[in-house]
Amino acid sequence: MSMHTLLQYKWSMMTPEFIVLITALILSLADLWMPNDKNRRPLAWIAVVGVVIALIATAGLIPAKPVSILYDTFRIDSFSKAFKLLVLAGGALCLLLALDYRPKEGLSHRGEFYYLLLCALLGAMIMASSGDLITLFVGLELLSVSSYILAGIRKTSAQSNESALKYVISGGIATAITLFGMSYIFGLTGTTNLKEMAFEVQKLADSNYQYLLALAFLLLLVGLSFKISSVPFHMWAPDVYQGAPTPVTAFLSVVSKTAGFVILLRLFITIFAAAPAHGKDPSSLLLSMQNYIAVLAGLTMIIGNTVALRQRSMKRLFAYSSIAHAGYLLVGFAAMSWVMIDSIWFYLLAYVLMNVGAFAIIQRLSDEADSDDMIHFAGLYQRNPLLAVSMGIFLLSLAGIPGTAGFIGKLNIFLGALMTEPGHYMLAAVMIATTVVSYVYYFGVFVQIFFRPADEAASVKLPVGLTVTVVLCAFGTLLFGIFPSLAYQVLAQFEHFGDFLQ
Amino acid sequence: MSGEYLAFLALALVAITGGVLMLNLTKVVHMVIALVFTFISIAGLYVLLSAEFVAVVQVLIYSGAVTIMMLFGIMLTRHQEEEGEKTTTGGFWRKALTAIAVFAFGIAVYLGVYRLDFGEEGARLHENNTEQIGMALYSHYTIPFEIASVILLVALVGAIILAKKDDEGAPKS
Repeated sequence: MSMHTLLQYKWSMMTPEFIVLITALILSLADLWMPNDKNRRPLAWIAVVGVVIALIATAGLIPAKPVSILYDTFRIDSFSKAFKLLVLAGGALCLLLALDYRPKEGLSHRGEFYYLLLCALLGAMIMASSGDLITLFVGLELLSVSSYILAGIRKTSAQSNESALKYVISGGIATAITLFGMSYIFGLTGTTNLKEMAFEVQKLADSNYQYLLALAFLLLLVGLSFKISSVPFHMWAPDVYQGAPTPVTAFLSVVSKTAGFVILLRLFITIFAAAPAHGKDPSSLLLSMQNYIAVLAGLTMIIGNTVALRQRSMKRLFAYSSIAHAGYLLVGFAAMSWVMIDSIWFYLLAYVLMNVGAFAIIQRLSDEADSDDMIHFAGLYQRNPLLAVSMGIFLLSLAGIPGTAGFIGKLNIFLGALMTEPGHYMLAAVMIATTVVSYVYYFGVFVQIFFRPADEAASVKLPVGLTVTVVLCAFGTLLFGIFPSLAYQVLAQFEHFGDFLQ
Repeated sequence: MSGEYLAFLALALVAITGGVLMLNLTKVVHMVIALVFTFISIAGLYVLLSAEFVAVVQVLIYSGAVTIMMLFGIMLTRHQEEEGEKTTTGGFWRKALTAIAVFAFGIAVYLGVYRLDFGEEGARLHENNTEQIGMALYSHYTIPFEIASVILLVALVGAIILAKKDDEGAPKS
């Protein structure tokens, strides 16, 4: 390939990726050349500014037509733009959390902490905008490898070490399963390009091939369920979430999960929707596999919500709650209504806001006490009423109470499940029942904050980064809860992701 | 039964035996050697598939670099012989369930592949395959190739910060 053909591609479409990459490189060099005794915290501001510029650049790309660079190894369509916005917003909020992360024993690799977060974010962005199996996998690995290191960055904490080791081992197994599934699809179609794959699988009429394709589907589903922390790969979440530094926990529960759903939707909708299957009308492998996804979604909701009831540690509680939320999101996927991607996008938006906001407050209180037990939330209302009210908003939104973004998100998914023909009444019923169960533990925290006496009278002061995060998240949660049409207007620009397969 | 089939059987058997031995041996050095057997027989499988370049890379990187790294790791770390110590490996039912799951998966895959017909084998696979890999890697797959370099950077930084011994006087922020 000559230089000329290489320059013909619209590389300007990769601006957000370049910005994040360059910011990460600048930070790594700055970290290298800064004197050893200098505080690294200002570097986080550079990272935040870089991600915000990338966010603006992505927003600027919204009107652009779908573009494919180098045979779809990088492609930008409305799906990738929409989810890249989410990933970048979540990443910026997590960086603000990281700015004010102050563990008891100090953090000796603060500079690395920031640029590894940026690299993980870059991996998630690459996953959002690719139409090629190899790029998708490389992006997935970039995200995973960075997260493994980030989980273990508190080297002197035994919990952090345990968390990193558990994460890397279960992550390795999940990657192996995913890759095994991918190898079957590649073997059956002979290409790594998703669109060509979709074209090739249509020709697989033989039932032997279809059996293998179904096997590949299940392997991919199981392997990718690790990233979104749903059944059967959810057991890592509580231990890893508890041991990892709080900003990393927030990152794993928000950005990593979003990226997991992105790759799941991209792969399954592109490849398997077109594949023929026996005994189904309309004949589609994706539709015939719907029941398996539905069962996993149901199990995820039930396990996540019931085990959360017994948790005392806030980070473990939120780990199980994040498993439950992955279950709700899977309901949106299993229903396969025409609003599937829209409802998942909105739910993830609400989830980013409410979860990062809640983690900001958890981080503040657990750093102070060096423990994340629920008891430290007791009497928060007396110590800082505004903070308590914000936490209340996040909890209400996570529980799905009207007036918050979480409610609208759940409503969309719920309606999506009933909208199809035949409707998924069973799944919708499980969703309602588990949501009611979830009230118990969310309101348990609520009671601690508002009705228990405080152990210490000292008021809680919030540092700048956390203040910005909490204010933005609380504002967003209420805004999209009361005026969801604002988010729908953004969604309307993507026109139901019609250019997904173009 | 052709010679290729026999070679495949032998190599596959060595690969699997190496893997099982690695899990069951108790001394770390023995484990590494068992792993080398697996790596080299996988390289042999690549040769059978006329992918010589991948086979050479497999020997260079896995049997060479990765193994040497592990040996260095063993040499440079203190490790006590833990022969008397009891480790928990789960009860009977847990093992039985795992075994059933593994065999069920094996049977499921076997059912899929044992009568699979992929038609004619590509006759020109072996021609210039190193050149073809190079062409694909540096033109078609430039973007993932570049991202792989970021992964290597991340892995390098991670290995250093996780393995480095912090000096006591280091500033903490």
